[in-house]
Amino acid sequence: MVSRPPTEGELVERARRGDGAAFGALVRDHEEIAFRTAYLITRNAADAEDAAQAGLVKAFYALPRFRREAPLRPWLLAIVANEARNRRRGGGRRESLALRAAHELPSGDAAPSPEGRLLVAEQRTELLSALESLREDDRIVLSCRYLLDLNEAETAEVLSLRRGTVKSRTSRALERLRVRLEVEA
Amino acid sequence: MSELELRLHELRAGLEFPPTPSFELRLERRPARRLRPLVVALAAVLVLLAGALALSPGARSAFLELFRLKGATVTRVEELPRVERIRRLDLLGELVTRAEAERRVGFRLLDLGEPDAVYVREGAIATLVYGDLDEPRLLLSEARGGIFDGFVRKTGASGTSVERVSVDGLPGLFVSGAGHFVMFRDAYGQIDDDRAFLAGTTLLWNRAELLLRLEADVTRAEAVELAESVR
Repeated sequence: MVSRPPTEGELVERARRGDGAAFGALVRDHEEIAFRTAYLITRNAADAEDAAQAGLVKAFYALPRFRREAPLRPWLLAIVANEARNRRRGGGRRESLALRAAHELPSGDAAPSPEGRLLVAEQRTELLSALESLREDDRIVLSCRYLLDLNEAETAEVLSLRRGTVKSRTSRALERLRVRLEVEA
Repeated sequence: MSELELRLHELRAGLEFPPTPSFELRLERRPARRLRPLVVALAAVLVLLAGALALSPGARSAFLELFRLKGATVTRVEELPRVERIRRLDLLGELVTRAEAERRVGFRLLDLGEPDAVYVREGAIATLVYGDLDEPRLLLSEARGGIFDGFVRKTGASGTSVERVSVDGLPGLFVSGAGHFVMFRDAYGQIDDDRAFLAGTTLLWNRAELLLRLEADVTRAEAVELAESVR
């Protein structure tokens, strides 16, 4: 007889009763995005690790306040994001996001020429540079939507904003990014 | 989806984040006690710095305003003024029951669990004391922001760190490092040195119409966590 793996709901119930192993299993799938969320806010790997670690532990103890019918991921990320905001150092070292080597192009690019590869790589570098030069609110909302691939509702929960605010802020941030790219071009 | 949004999506595929660390979550269900969990978890005992402040006119004029928070102003001076030691808790006002404190301040007190003592001063500022009265672990002071508007000046020496923090998404100030002190102006706008007291690590934040002030020997993250646990 093969036992099925526990569902997320079952793990949540066990974790709510204090089962640390169940919580560990519950968050395993979310550790990477939790760390990346913290990193995009702190822009420092050490601070991001501290924030994600503290946020996940805090989430465990906050589980009794978690609504059973709510999705777990944005709730977890919201706690981690809050930890990250509190750990952001005023004068601390900021790290820049890096791009993989130029030859690793998105799927669908059918054997571009060397010149084509360079052009695409250059455009991606410009886009990343322009994104990182935006003011913090703009950078973070675009990072959540496009670099973490969170939807509007998730972004709203993670950033403690209304969904409408996420929509309008994203729109304005995209416009400012577009202007920034045009200026740099 | 616009071309720019498509480009951002494609950018995601090529991003190189730092490797995700392996998290080791030490999770233990903490036993229920009278205080909420984090308060119980505080290992360090708050060292109270008792003292009254005799603030020189020179020090007053040297204030350099750094930060503003609804109901509180944080300023920095070159050096702390001379202090004269007195009993700290006396400065918190009169020791009363919680019900009496709430009656005098006119609002329901927020807390981190049932306090060990409640003080109230001039019917305006209530302070909940956690721990032994001779060696409190945590102080939580509350007042209506309106009363505090322009009446609180928190001053730090040059070794003091003042950091902006987020408490439940709202701005707060975390003050730590070298000794600093809080001055309360009286109803006539004059600084009364008898009402000033030295403060340990302090978090100031607003919750609705209240200005809250938490003092304990904790880190910034712990202070914020405590503040967010206040109910």
